[in-house]
Amino acid sequence: MTAAEQFQARLFDDARASPRYASWLDRGPSLAALADAPLPEPRSYTWEYSNPNPWYEQNARRTDNRPNAGKVVASGGIRVADFDAADSRERCIIEANLNATVDRRRYSLAAVNDVLLCGGVVIEVPERARDAEIELGHLTGGFERVLLIVGAGAEATLVETPASPTHRVVECLVGTGASLRHLRLQGAADSFEYQLVSTRVEAGASYRFGQYAQGSGMRRNDVHIESAGDGADIGIRGAWHLSGQQHLDTQVNVHHGIGGGTSRQTVRGVVNDRAKAVFNGRIHIAPGAQNTDAALSAKHMLLARTAQAYAKPELEIYANDVRCAHGATMGEIDGDALFYLRSRGIGEPAARHLLIAGFLEEAMADHGREEARALLSPGSLQPGKLPRPLTRKEGSAFRLPADAYFHEKLS
Amino acid sequence: MLEVADLHASAVGKPILNGIDLTVRTGEVHAIMGPNGSGKSTLANALAGRTDVEVTNGDMRLEGASLIGLEPEARAHLGLFLAFQYPVEIPGVSNMEFLKAAVDSRDTALEREAMSAASFVKSAREAAERLQLAPEFLRRGVNAGFSGGEKKRNEILQMLLLEPKLAVLDETDSGLDIDALRTVAKGINAFASETNAVLLITHYQRLLDHIEPDFVHVLLDGRIVETGDKSLARKLEADGYARLA
Repeated sequence: MTAAEQFQARLFDDARASPRYASWLDRGPSLAALADAPLPEPRSYTWEYSNPNPWYEQNARRTDNRPNAGKVVASGGIRVADFDAADSRERCIIEANLNATVDRRRYSLAAVNDVLLCGGVVIEVPERARDAEIELGHLTGGFERVLLIVGAGAEATLVETPASPTHRVVECLVGTGASLRHLRLQGAADSFEYQLVSTRVEAGASYRFGQYAQGSGMRRNDVHIESAGDGADIGIRGAWHLSGQQHLDTQVNVHHGIGGGTSRQTVRGVVNDRAKAVFNGRIHIAPGAQNTDAALSAKHMLLARTAQAYAKPELEIYANDVRCAHGATMGEIDGDALFYLRSRGIGEPAARHLLIAGFLEEAMADHGREEARALLSPGSLQPGKLPRPLTRKEGSAFRLPADAYFHEKLS
Repeated sequence: MLEVADLHASAVGKPILNGIDLTVRTGEVHAIMGPNGSGKSTLANALAGRTDVEVTNGDMRLEGASLIGLEPEARAHLGLFLAFQYPVEIPGVSNMEFLKAAVDSRDTALEREAMSAASFVKSAREAAERLQLAPEFLRRGVNAGFSGGEKKRNEILQMLLLEPKLAVLDETDSGLDIDALRTVAKGINAFASETNAVLLITHYQRLLDHIEPDFVHVLLDGRIVETGDKSLARKLEADGYARLA
């Protein structure tokens, strides 16, 4: 029996008992998906360079009774509810929308997440809301779900700074004409993690996702984004800076289901020591999704002979009137550029830092630039070091009872 | 200021410089001319400490201090500046950030008080204006997407800010139109003073119409074969290098 099979068998055993967290939530479809689709094995498809076995070992015991230690900070008329405490209206919303964008046979670890869920939060941004801001830091440190629904025409910002280990599945539904900026900062850790961001972008809506990461024992970031309407505009930026034995595996899938959408993927990775970066960027253009405009650029910089990076663009195009561009490069610090800086009196370590920061800069989104820079700057690469908390405008945050990790406005 | 004695150097294992002797005194402007492949750029790179140029014999001294074995940044701190023939593009690092890092490194190495951000920005803007570079060039990535002329002007901008003792300008005139050449020459003339020195490396005489050298040297097969005053440059322009071969 493989580690995956053992894990799955134990999961089904455990699932016979009623879950302690959000017991009203039907785990049946997730269990059915798991019965159909095997869990990833080492070297199976999309797991060629990342070994999931330590993840199974680390998560062999159930963890659904963790205290809700974390918090959600929200402003701008946003409604936030814990799955466990959801009222009937909120339960309806959750049942109607949870997993609407997640193919649990494809992302079977997301189905595991449902079964082992120990914290979940539904966030609703009302239609045409302005300046809606949500900060998601540490929630439970276990298997977490975030369901974010951005109403039509609303403008919202989601900032995530999950502490490790966290196995978080974030689903975002970006309504017609809405705009969501989503920033995720992941500090260094030793643990094994699986995370999924799954977003659907409706017609005329805009989604800007920036994922900035250091590595961990094995950190797998799956990103699935659907362009589901004419004029949907998707921008993905990713940057990572790995050192030591860190391992980061990022798998992006942009699905253009409907034509007339735009997507841009820009990722930059710097890999040092014995660290390993894996990036797979897929663009899938469905039959009939004409006038799609998609592009992907992935560049890695290797700083040591023993550092590894695997990058693969994957284009799957079933429409004939589209624009689609991709590029992936591997390189090292440019000797000419290094000499140029040093000839101006800049010492070698500082010159290298400048070149590394400049390389990563190409993948920095305007939104969250400072936080991302702070996270990935060569000086911040100690395990466990997270960027300083985001500074907020006075009065825009509100926090609440210590036993709840979500907050509503007191006034 | 600069003394080069019997300098031999190889680039990628191939001997290029075969015994250069050159003395540049404070307050002087020297021009080094020569055909393609004569070793002009190798001389510039040997002075600046490029790692793929290996000095196999001889010495180079800047104000008495030997440059042999010094890191490029240490040579810069001693007061050497090389304006590159092909300035490198570094997108993602802003020109301003780069210039500030360079000035700060120099000040730290020389144990000078660091320049305040405000006075640094002011002097960078002034230098840019003098070279007819719009202020936005300071915000853009280092040389990223700059035209040939803009890159060369950016080299002179760095020189003006770093105030080196010896400026080595490697074909700073190549790729410039007449107006840009004039602007660049003006920058160099503004820099040259009684307290520093300039070594101009060039193919053509036309730069020397704008900057008057005290000495002109002809480099051929890695040796200085002739030295004269500015009239030598005119003679070369008329007769070509073949006469010397």
